[in-house]
Amino acid sequence: MLSLTDPKSNNPVLASLQIKTSEKIISVKENGSADSNFILTHLIKQIFYEKNKILLIGLHNTLDHYQNVGKKLGYDFKKSIDDHQAGIIEPLDDLTQKIIEDDVYENKEELVKCLFGEIQSQIALLSESTTQQIYLIVDDLSHLLDLGVDIAHIISFINYCNSLVDTENVAVVINTHVCNKIDEIISNTLQYVSDVHIEVASLKTGRSTDVTGVINVSRDGGTNHYQYKTFDRGVKTFHPGQAIFNMYK
Amino acid sequence: MDKKPAGNIQGTILSTQNAQRLISSGIPSLDDLLGGGLPVGTVALIEEDLHGAYSKIILKYFLAEGIVSKHSTLIASQDINPFNIIKELPAVIDSDPESSKPKTSGTSDKMKIAFRYQNIQVSNDSKLHSLGHYYDLSKNMSLNDIENSDISYWSGQRLENGSNSFANPAYNQLLKSIKDKIKDGKFFLKDNPSKKSILRIGIHSLGSPMWLPYRKALHSIDSSRDLDMFIFCLRALVRSAYAVAVITIPTHLYHEVSLERCVHSSDIAMRLQAFCGTELESNQALSDFHGFFYLKKIAAINSLASKHPGSVEYVFKLRRKKLVIETLHLPPDIQESMDSKKNDIPSVGCGGSNKHLLEF
Repeated sequence: MLSLTDPKSNNPVLASLQIKTSEKIISVKENGSADSNFILTHLIKQIFYEKNKILLIGLHNTLDHYQNVGKKLGYDFKKSIDDHQAGIIEPLDDLTQKIIEDDVYENKEELVKCLFGEIQSQIALLSESTTQQIYLIVDDLSHLLDLGVDIAHIISFINYCNSLVDTENVAVVINTHVCNKIDEIISNTLQYVSDVHIEVASLKTGRSTDVTGVINVSRDGGTNHYQYKTFDRGVKTFHPGQAIFNMYK
Repeated sequence: MDKKPAGNIQGTILSTQNAQRLISSGIPSLDDLLGGGLPVGTVALIEEDLHGAYSKIILKYFLAEGIVSKHSTLIASQDINPFNIIKELPAVIDSDPESSKPKTSGTSDKMKIAFRYQNIQVSNDSKLHSLGHYYDLSKNMSLNDIENSDISYWSGQRLENGSNSFANPAYNQLLKSIKDKIKDGKFFLKDNPSKKSILRIGIHSLGSPMWLPYRKALHSIDSSRDLDMFIFCLRALVRSAYAVAVITIPTHLYHEVSLERCVHSSDIAMRLQAFCGTELESNQALSDFHGFFYLKKIAAINSLASKHPGSVEYVFKLRRKKLVIETLHLPPDIQESMDSKKNDIPSVGCGGSNKHLLEF
């Protein structure tokens, strides 16, 4: 039953995604020059509305970015962290520190294990005394590749996440950026295990002022195609060819 | 990157759209394209033209603007002595050199053709620039100004032992010196110095053959992996500080795909393609310009929408005193249409010159 205040009915992005709570693994594939961050920020809105908890792993965007975008979409991320509704792991600074000091892990697998250990302890903290679902959101898994992590270890990370979904009350949202063959392998693996696969790409024909790009939402039942246009204060989605009806609203 | 310090920092403005602190790139036309300027805490990547001449000029503008705005500077290069780049910075001047606006010679004898258009702006140049200064490329900045500013040089000469994380220890060295500079100058967001300033980091020809690891003679996958990791780490560093980095990379030496990850890790990516030495040089429509300017990426930071202006093509031209980036307008197709008109003069009756087209 949808109510009027439900973002799934009044927010265009969430209305086209129609993510249900039963869908545990959501993969987001970001192609080439597209930016799929708005999918994550919108999903966060829905998760907060459903009173579920979030653990964000920020490898690409900073907490301030989420805070600023969140204010535009109507949630306060930092306040949620203070209220123990959300947690964030920002390994950027520590990792860079370690790389500069040349104090890297002997084996890059160690790095993934460390990250996962951190995730587990944070989830344990968040899941204390609640039965709510916890969403683990990974902002750009493919950045692990930049850090020199072997592809096998990244896939084992996906495997870890998969087991987490089975054992605990956790759902996973993983964003990956795809620009070469190796990224593609990660994305395909993710797509294989996921319940919903969201693909964001820019237009094949080049840039347009009316349409920013394409969203394809695939489920077992089939694929829905949408186009989207980003504005400063929100994102509009529409079916292909209907961009013109949305321009002057 | 929520930067709201008590006092205003010299040479910066706050964007009205998303409260992002912006600094000027030194080129007014480029600032306009980037939505006001370079956001503080970002990495801008410039893909060099074939000879690296124009990208070096853009880098010089960026550094000169820093010195005039009393920002701190770190300049790094393995190809040339970084002091030489600083020595050749353009001199600051009061007004726009070679302004594109036509000089009006009194109102009385002005021709009144299409008077409704006379108040329409000729170009975006007439917009008031509160940020940035004008520079004269034909003169060099005085050494006095340079000596009085805080500039660090990195030329990669004092290389110590190898590194575990990078194949080439030079990358590690550079990251370390950038971090030390940020630490010493108290540019970290958490620092609270009495007078806040910005650190401008300019890296010239990163990833050129001079950056190859010693043991390997060819660009291997590992060496571009170094570049990915370097830009990723640099971005993490710059995000946590009042700093902006501009990097030029000779991308024509790389496979196109191997740089995609670098572009993804950077916040702004642009590419220069000079006409010099290509067949475009003789193209009449492009004869006024020196090359194409591609804006590959402007990341949406602190907002949902990227400030990318959309599907417009840009060109740059280097005048005697300044570099300008403009929208490409193709000139009216006058000459060719004159030629083609000659050919199809309408003929009377059925016996025209095009008759043979209908014959089988």
